[in-house]
Amino acid sequence: MDPIAAMIGIIIGGVIVGICVHFIPASAVGAMSASTGIATGPSMLSAGCGLAGLYAAGYSIKLGLPITVASGALGSALMIICTMLLANAICAFGTGVAPVAGTYDKDPITGWRQKPFMSPGTDGHSMPTTTALSGIIGALLGGAGGSLVFASTYGMLTEVTAIATATAITIAGMVAAGVFLVNCVLPAYVLVGKTEGMTDPKMKKLPKTLISCIVASVFTGVFIYAAVVVI
Amino acid sequence: MEPVTLTLMIGVGLAGAIAFIAGIIEDAESDAGSASNPNSQVQLAPQIGHIIRYYDKAIAGEPPQNGLWAASACTIALLLSWRFADMGIGQYYAIFFAAVVGAAIVCLVQGCFGVFAHLSRIASFSPFKQPLYWDALLTPLPYSMGLAFLTALLLTLLAFVTSGLLGNPFAPPLLALLFGISLGSIASGTGDIQYGAERLYQHHIFGSGIPISKMGDIDLKGEYGFRNSVDTPYFCMRLGGTITAFAFGLIIFLDGWTRLFTFAGEWTSVILEAIVVAILFIFLVWLEKFTRDSYGPYPGQEDL
Repeated sequence: MDPIAAMIGIIIGGVIVGICVHFIPASAVGAMSASTGIATGPSMLSAGCGLAGLYAAGYSIKLGLPITVASGALGSALMIICTMLLANAICAFGTGVAPVAGTYDKDPITGWRQKPFMSPGTDGHSMPTTTALSGIIGALLGGAGGSLVFASTYGMLTEVTAIATATAITIAGMVAAGVFLVNCVLPAYVLVGKTEGMTDPKMKKLPKTLISCIVASVFTGVFIYAAVVVI
Repeated sequence: MEPVTLTLMIGVGLAGAIAFIAGIIEDAESDAGSASNPNSQVQLAPQIGHIIRYYDKAIAGEPPQNGLWAASACTIALLLSWRFADMGIGQYYAIFFAAVVGAAIVCLVQGCFGVFAHLSRIASFSPFKQPLYWDALLTPLPYSMGLAFLTALLLTLLAFVTSGLLGNPFAPPLLALLFGISLGSIASGTGDIQYGAERLYQHHIFGSGIPISKMGDIDLKGEYGFRNSVDTPYFCMRLGGTITAFAFGLIIFLDGWTRLFTFAGEWTSVILEAIVVAILFIFLVWLEKFTRDSYGPYPGQEDL
């Protein structure tokens, strides 16, 4: 892969990772069934699902960019759907509450009313259908973005340097994991610990995330390009 | 059957089984130390006048903490396994013994981490008259360290299985880091709900949710005596631990399973994963309907 194209791939991948965090429903208060979303911070959950995607993308790295990106996206989506399904199961059977969203009265997909099933004094629990779909979209984006960074870094390393393939793959994986962690944490400043995904009003703050992620990703991309090609 | 396929099948089954057990143990470890998000309730309790005897080592997020234990143990194990192999020990024995040593070292580090984290947490409660109970620290500490040992050991073995048998090209320590962070976020997002929303609030009515106004009003008395952190994992393992294990085990197993087939060439695993995601999404919608039909609306809220 051409090093300049690889650097652009790293920047685009980093920005997509930042966007994905807005789509994945997560809330720290969800651990007490007091809010809609997976019961952990949005940043850490997005990192967890993105790294699961990276693990899946690792198998396909030698098969080309499109299949690596698709593998990463689907691996990430598999992680998030398993987590959401079983988080809903534990809310249903462990704490006795039904999935309810706090940001809409009727589910746009199923049309089911939300407020009657919301326990008094809380802001929702677990993930109803539309919120879960938002999570899958977020995971697909996050997995694709992380895998794009991974494949681009690997392409740059194999094009420019003569290091062994196994070493190049592991270095590229570490870079992708690092870019993932940086761009997952940045949206935390606008999400402040809670988001319900694409139906949340905080989606309006997406441009702020976009700008910060572009700045961070450009720095990262240029630094990696300089480290691999120039130095 | 071709030997490659047989090796892959064994690898997929073994990885799924190890991931399943690691899920149970990791969730128990986080519950024993009040890690992750429910620790906010343990911290709130002294502020509303409740004197607690919980072990609280939550000074870092569960995913990075767990990633650190797994990656450290696997790095030590990888280096030691080379050394053991040089000494003439067989490859599989070398990896297993090295993994045990790596996990043992990490277990000691986790113990130090836990002691200082708990002491600093309790010291920060001093304005609220919360005493430092040595039994609240020393009773759960070995238990928590033992669970950390098992988690690190299992994730190290999982990294070696996925690298060796399934052929993942990443180095085992990086795989252990990926598994550690992923498992930490899964346990935090699934199993910890039972700790935070049920075990800490058993004196509240089941299914009532935990209103913001009740937060911090956690259980102080256990089945006998004061509630402590040794009581917690045995309760949470039954559902929270199993659910966490199912989530992590399913991810590792299904991801490997989709790579056993070749009907669509290189795209087979992608197509199969998309089908699995769609099927699980249908299950999610069905579960939502089942829960709503089973519990019904809250009294007085039917017309909202």
